[in-house]
Amino acid sequence: MITVENLSKRYGSTTAVSDVSFTVEPGSITGFLGPNGAGKSTTLRMLTGLTPPSAGRATIAGKKYADLPNPGRVVGVMLDAAAQHPGRTGRETLLLNAALLGVPSSRADEMLEAVGLTPAAKRRVGQYSLGMRQRLGIAAALLGDPAALILDEPANGMDPEGIRWMRGLLQDFASRGGTVILSSHLLGEVQATVDRLVVIGGGRIVANGSLEELLAGSGTLVRGLDPVGLNQALTAAGLALEPLFDGALRVDATAEQVGRAAAAAGQVLLELRESDGAGLEELFFQLTSPTAAAA
Amino acid sequence: MAITEITSPVAAAAPGKHRAAVATSLPPARGQSFLKLVIIELRKSVNTRSGQVLILGILALALAALTWELTHLGDGKQAFDGYLGAASTGVMLLLPVIGVMAMTSEWTQRTALTTFTLSPRRIRVQLAKFVSAIVLSVVVLSVTVVLAIAGTALGGSLSGDGASYAGFGGALAGAYLTTALNVVMGAAFGAVIAQTAVAILVFFVAPTAWALAGPALFKSNADWLDVFGAFGRIAERNLNGMMPETLTAIGVWIVLPTIVGLWASSRREVK
Repeated sequence: MITVENLSKRYGSTTAVSDVSFTVEPGSITGFLGPNGAGKSTTLRMLTGLTPPSAGRATIAGKKYADLPNPGRVVGVMLDAAAQHPGRTGRETLLLNAALLGVPSSRADEMLEAVGLTPAAKRRVGQYSLGMRQRLGIAAALLGDPAALILDEPANGMDPEGIRWMRGLLQDFASRGGTVILSSHLLGEVQATVDRLVVIGGGRIVANGSLEELLAGSGTLVRGLDPVGLNQALTAAGLALEPLFDGALRVDATAEQVGRAAAAAGQVLLELRESDGAGLEELFFQLTSPTAAAA
Repeated sequence: MAITEITSPVAAAAPGKHRAAVATSLPPARGQSFLKLVIIELRKSVNTRSGQVLILGILALALAALTWELTHLGDGKQAFDGYLGAASTGVMLLLPVIGVMAMTSEWTQRTALTTFTLSPRRIRVQLAKFVSAIVLSVVVLSVTVVLAIAGTALGGSLSGDGASYAGFGGALAGAYLTTALNVVMGAAFGAVIAQTAVAILVFFVAPTAWALAGPALFKSNADWLDVFGAFGRIAERNLNGMMPETLTAIGVWIVLPTIVGLWASSRREVK
């Protein structure tokens, strides 16, 4: 649905984005991760026709963004929720977009209802909190009932309720066949929301695959009654491990291997589970550290 | 860790399944006609607090000027073009500011991000802004004209000498032409200088500075770039045989900034 092929962008002698290619399929939510300055926003801007690429192409439903006669009806974009005129009311902002998209004004009221902004609809956007502006931005992106969503930091500034609401909204959108690509720095939230990951570092793609596959092998988390003894027992069994700050150990092995090694040494276990929390963050740093980028 | 590549994509959750119908089914997606773009731009100029304040300010100035005229009635018949001149002071000063802001506020308020995402073909949008600025100026001026007519009539009955509408057509034509030219020049400056405050400042300072300093520096050659002179001649609909000077002034002060501004805004990075 969204296809990026060999996209590059050079500013003078600096290459911001180099030969980036990936595809986002319908019915999936793809997380687009990368450190600041890695080229995420530049890639998204090339995708939405705001920045002309130096090379390569990006298409949505087979067409370049600028060739879509009314792009908001095909893909809803929210790149910066703070980029709204503070002197306009929330409702008027949506009504304006609705008129441009060719949808009835009742749709604007529906969207205000859906994002929970109806009480604040008649207030000026300048008086909105950051979370309210984000909600308005989402409402604007969904206004044209698009088949795809491109969101840059959608959960920025939202409280936990807002974040959970957003997750539900996006998963519902994808389950009905929609395509979502979102970039975010909230790795925990990304892990809870997305099906696939595209990671960009130093202007290049460093990972592209399903969340499960990329995180597989991130190991097992184990906590024992006697942390030092457990550490020794597992090391003696030849398992590679890494102590975590709270006394637990992350082991590059299956739960069964850890269990057997601990049992063989008579170590009592308090916790034994798949290590997922540390997984994405660890993966992110492994992929985007300067040495990895050079590899 | 080696780069991980997936060769076969994960199967879509619901391949080929259409999105569920929305509560109200939407009309089919159509392109954005130029007329629609102009209407949207008109809405944008008046649905913000700053736009509303400016327009009300213009009308308030007109009312204040007319009140002054009515409280300082001159002798003889009350002349319409005098009342119109007084009432349109605000128009001449502030309407071009609306023209400037139509072009610059997208960049200073950063709404360019939304505007150019929803309408990626920027030149059309910018041209629609020019047209909407002209339409808005015509509407505001018309309201001012009505107020001036009322003022003239009132003044005529108050002074007891009656009102004179001599040169009505000429005064109107002059007013509409001058206003439209000023607004277009404002918009042209706004197209080139994408910062509201700087654009407004340059708009007020530059042509005036030239009008003051030009003749001293360049003698009669200054006429070639004297844009206010050009406006005056166009408003009088009498070029005094100065067609080339008039065209050059318009070309340099309006056409050139417009072209440069349209080109620059098409390529400007939207942050």
